[in-house]
Amino acid sequence: MSMTIALAGNPNCGKTTLFNELTGSKQHVGNWPGVTVDKKDGVYKKNKEVVILDLPGTYSLSPYSAEEIVARDYIVKDKPDAVIDIVDGTSIERNLYLSLQIMETRIPMVIALNMMDEVEARGDKIDCKKLSEELGVPVVPIVARSGKGLAELMEAAIETARNHQKSERVQLFDDELENVIAGIADLLRGSDPDESWWKAIKLVENDEVVAKTIDSAKMDSIRKLVESANKNAGGDAEAKIADYRYQYIGKIVKECVRKAHRGHVETKSDKMDKVLTNRILALPIFAAVMYVMFACTFSENFLFIEGLPSPGVWLAGIVESVWGLLTDAVVGAVEGVGASEWAVGLVSSCLDGVGAVAGFLPLVLVLFLLLSFLEDSGYMARVAFVMDRIFRHFGLSGRSFIPMLMGFGCSVPALMASRTLESDKDRKITMMITPFMSCGAKLPIYAMFAATLFAEGNHTVIVFSVYMLGIVVAIIGALLLNKFAFKSDTSNFIMELPQYRVPTLKSVLIHAWEKVKGFAIKAGTVIFASTVLIWFLSSFNFSGMCDMEESLLATIGNGIKWIFAPLGWADWRASVGVVTGWIAKENIVATFGQLFGGVSDEVVEAVMAGEEGLPAIGEVFNKVSAYSYMAFNLLCMPCFAAVGAIRREMGSWKWTLRAVGFQMLTAYVVALLINVVGNMIF
Amino acid sequence: MPLSMMEQGDTRMITEFRGQEEMKRHLQDLGFIRGEKVRVVGENASGMILMVKGVKIALNRALANRIMVAD
Repeated sequence: MSMTIALAGNPNCGKTTLFNELTGSKQHVGNWPGVTVDKKDGVYKKNKEVVILDLPGTYSLSPYSAEEIVARDYIVKDKPDAVIDIVDGTSIERNLYLSLQIMETRIPMVIALNMMDEVEARGDKIDCKKLSEELGVPVVPIVARSGKGLAELMEAAIETARNHQKSERVQLFDDELENVIAGIADLLRGSDPDESWWKAIKLVENDEVVAKTIDSAKMDSIRKLVESANKNAGGDAEAKIADYRYQYIGKIVKECVRKAHRGHVETKSDKMDKVLTNRILALPIFAAVMYVMFACTFSENFLFIEGLPSPGVWLAGIVESVWGLLTDAVVGAVEGVGASEWAVGLVSSCLDGVGAVAGFLPLVLVLFLLLSFLEDSGYMARVAFVMDRIFRHFGLSGRSFIPMLMGFGCSVPALMASRTLESDKDRKITMMITPFMSCGAKLPIYAMFAATLFAEGNHTVIVFSVYMLGIVVAIIGALLLNKFAFKSDTSNFIMELPQYRVPTLKSVLIHAWEKVKGFAIKAGTVIFASTVLIWFLSSFNFSGMCDMEESLLATIGNGIKWIFAPLGWADWRASVGVVTGWIAKENIVATFGQLFGGVSDEVVEAVMAGEEGLPAIGEVFNKVSAYSYMAFNLLCMPCFAAVGAIRREMGSWKWTLRAVGFQMLTAYVVALLINVVGNMIF
Repeated sequence: MPLSMMEQGDTRMITEFRGQEEMKRHLQDLGFIRGEKVRVVGENASGMILMVKGVKIALNRALANRIMVAD
């Protein structure tokens, strides 16, 4: 008999570790419909009939966040065969609050009492047998990290699921409150008495999401009952319910848990926090950590050694050269059999498309190995807190810093790092502005213009000012999006700081691998399709294959160039450059090399490095319009790889298009301002 | 008095929360209920770090201003 067992629990309770231990590498990651919350499921290693589903980490089943709504809808509506509720034994009181709420749904459940090694190390004792008797639910002690107790846990869970063994109903509330709940449940009179009872509790708790599902005639009588409950509870039945739950927990914890020390004992985590969240030290330490992370992923001069590539760059170089050899070999073979010119072009453009995806994988891998280490160790929660004060001014969360900083290396992994943000709004805004951070591929564009049009001594200032422009526009963009597009109140910050733990190698590897796989599959299709499309447009016209000068793309460039007239560069070659830049931004230089006089590859290389200018572009650009062009390409739609990453992280085309639309609009407005104001001054 | 006035090392009892229902509920889920003891274990420019029900919680001053503790 096949069955589904769902894992529920607080954030940081070790749920993901348990999931990884139970399913091994056979996991499937998707999205819950309509929200950007990961949906992970996998098959139990030791019994292929059992599907394990990892619910998002939540503190309760009230509808505070998207995660909580997802978790409770799944438990109440989809009804898994059993729920394993993971309780962190080191903070049992707070964790049992969720357990009681899951018990209220009366789904068959088992409690996994995790982190028992840490409980023992503290000298505390938890009587699992007694706890199980009190709660009326099987309780199994485990250590998810080492795999201890997992066989027993799964045995208990499968048994509970097979017997459809409902958790017992514990009387938590006083008689008056119980009567009101019974009265409301009676009014609801659903087909499932357990569901009616659960809904009745939620209605007393003023749960708007549940209230919306009830027809208005019934709601009137229900409201009267809730009113009477409020009156009895001194105005606030909801607080009373929470209070009763905690009282009950307090009582059983007193009976079942024996602490070695009364009061709080300073742990290793506390000592670390004294340094890592310290008023003065926190920011410098964070800056150092970020530097190391950035250097490991993107640096060309790793550890300050000239020419030594970082692990990320080194791997990317290997992938690129292997792919280059492969492409040459395949294209050579296709030419060898005498295929027509267009077939050779198609094959090589397809290979370029796949290569564009493959080239990013090493960066994604290295960055996420490091990021998931920081996340799983507990440090990331501190980062969010420490950076909160600064980023709150811009209406962003402290965690936005990481994607934005990584954006200076490459937008692709940077955008994927936005997953670590807590709120949906912060995630979306961060994704919209992260591409404004000037990535490595945009530098050759600035180098070309600086070397061609600006005086020798000004090159650095010009390039630096473009980088600064990106940062300023990102900040203004975040403020405007917050004010007009999301209209949110961002005044509150509250977050648990979990204990520091050394992450297991397995969970770090699985996390990074998931990211790489997700990018290759989801973003890969977008990148591949658009690369092939642009190749087609740039090498064909209606009479067949041709040079770029006569291609469809040139026709399009001529057709749309008037749009850019207000920006100072109404030229078809400039327009074509924008489009080829979407494959990869540094392509703009190669395109210009071809369209402005057909210079050799060696010259293009030199132009990219800023060693040589491309005098022919002076026909079209002056200083002001060149700056406007640089700003436009900095801010407009990023390369297709980044768009693919946005698509994957947003989880919807609608939001992807909104993000791209916002970026295009911003680019246009900023470039327009530069051109107008610039021409007034110079 | 508001929780934000507490000093590092202080332990006091929560009396009430003045703010939106939604946030009140979330605070309850995290263990902030009337009569519960909170201890301030850290402070920095972003806000305060508290110990509630054996768990460390960080929050900013805006929120700490709305949580009342016994004088």
